Amino acid sequence: MIISSYMRTEHRACDELFSTAEKSVIDGNFEQAEEQFLLFANDTLRHFKKEEESLFPTFEELTGSTEGPTRIMKFEHEQVRGLIGKMAEAVENKDSDAYLSLAESMMILLQQHNMKEEQMLYAMCDRTIPQDLKESTLEAMKAIKL
Amino acid sequence: MFSQGGLSLEQAPPISVVMKFFITASIFGLLLGLYLLANSSGLLTYSTYAYKVTITHFLALGVMASFMLGALFQMLPVIAGVVIKMPTKKSMVVHVLLMVGVFLQLFAFNTSISLLYLFSAIILGSALLHATTVMIKELIKVQDHSSSSKGMLLSLSSFTIAILFGIYLLLTLGGYIKGDSFAQVKEAHYSFALFGWVALLIVSVSFQVVEMFYVTPKYPIMSKYLVTTIAMLLLLKLIALFISLPTVGIDLFLALLFIVYGVITLNRLYKRKRPTSDATVWFWRLGMGLLIISMTITALGTISSIDEGLKMLSYLAFIGFALSIVFAMNYKIVPFLTWFHLSNQGYMEAPMMHDVIHPKKAKIHFYIHVAMLLAWSLYILFNPPMISILASLLVVLSFGWLLYHLIFAVKKYNYTQKHTEKMEW
Repeated sequence: MIISSYMRTEHRACDELFSTAEKSVIDGNFEQAEEQFLLFANDTLRHFKKEEESLFPTFEELTGSTEGPTRIMKFEHEQVRGLIGKMAEAVENKDSDAYLSLAESMMILLQQHNMKEEQMLYAMCDRTIPQDLKESTLEAMKAIKL
Repeated sequence: MFSQGGLSLEQAPPISVVMKFFITASIFGLLLGLYLLANSSGLLTYSTYAYKVTITHFLALGVMASFMLGALFQMLPVIAGVVIKMPTKKSMVVHVLLMVGVFLQLFAFNTSISLLYLFSAIILGSALLHATTVMIKELIKVQDHSSSSKGMLLSLSSFTIAILFGIYLLLTLGGYIKGDSFAQVKEAHYSFALFGWVALLIVSVSFQVVEMFYVTPKYPIMSKYLVTTIAMLLLLKLIALFISLPTVGIDLFLALLFIVYGVITLNRLYKRKRPTSDATVWFWRLGMGLLIISMTITALGTISSIDEGLKMLSYLAFIGFALSIVFAMNYKIVPFLTWFHLSNQGYMEAPMMHDVIHPKKAKIHFYIHVAMLLAWSLYILFNPPMISILASLLVVLSFGWLLYHLIFAVKKYNYTQKHTEKMEW
């Protein structure tokens, strides 16, 4: 379960960053919020890149399909990217109501996305990808930079 | 194998499917308030039995079943990964028959006209059995059940049993069957409807949404056995009822399980990572607190005799629990779906969640809801003059407030579609 474990840890780390940024916005500390939001955005986008450039192609090659679950996950990544842009704008404009409103949508979208990945997709990756390929994919993901 | 069907919110049913059920539920809630008001002010006078069953079924079917079936049509694809084919058509059949059936049943209770009992049994039975079979048929195909999807399946199965018993009771009241087992069936009907359908569904859904909405730690592993244990206890109770064995032990065990669940959920909410403490968090906290109160009184009732007032408080707390969770879900689901569907359709000016229903409006509803529960508690405990009128008015205000904001969300949705630019992808 090395894929599940690694990716799940990344999800949780992003949740932490998201929550600290949200707290700073609630406290009205926008300077800190901007820094924390940037960390969240970068980590989330790097996580997506790892999936899209390494994990998903490996899985697609083994299952012989690019039209399966990975297509839906990539579609949801696009939705999250769109929201990240809007949230960055809100935090820059120090617009807490807009930020918190977008944060609501972002959290629901991200959490349901993460659940599906953790409960189904990563579990499938761990089951279908052979051990040596799994290890090399994991190494490749760790090396990916934004 | 990986089921792609229903994997994405993208495959969720049209927003109208959910909204029509939620709006109908709010209208039924409003009508319930008016019915209570008419009784409190002496405009209507019915027998205590008719009054009690009318209120119970207004709430259980008109309000709760409408809310919960609407939410299920939306959540089954997202939470359990199953797709209900032709959701608009299927939900419309359920919706229309449910509305007609509830009214027929309420008239039957208040007039005791035999034919009304028959028609309500047929129409209401068809509506609800159609809904449960459509959903169970898809849920049964799920290969790797999560605690949530398994709980939903068991909850819908309990609802089916409650409906079948309900039909038996209606036909007995209408004089169409002898109804030799009326008392046992009535007890089983309430148990499966309240513990099996309402409470079990809330438990199952909470396993996913509490974590999803508030970013809480996961429920402990033992929670995954909770839904199965509750369902097994209900089956045992059914058997015990029909072979005339005492059921107090089972009731006590059930009540304790729900208390444990309530405490665990409160603890999850306390440990949530998101710092926001909006109205929905407060609705969840209140709901769990009321569940614990209701089940503690129920547990006490199984080991010693408690007075009628305390029993009534237990029922009120259970109603408060169910409504609190339904309101919490409404204030998350409706703004999210409005934004989500419009964004997905390419409307760049899609209103943000706070523009659909602002958290401050939800907070006001929370205060109205608390005031309503306090007023009814006062009525039960001390019955000061005019309190039942005030309490009834607060029921009207509570559902009226929700209805207004649901209609506002629909208007906002339609306005965005008609008057803003759409980007074609």
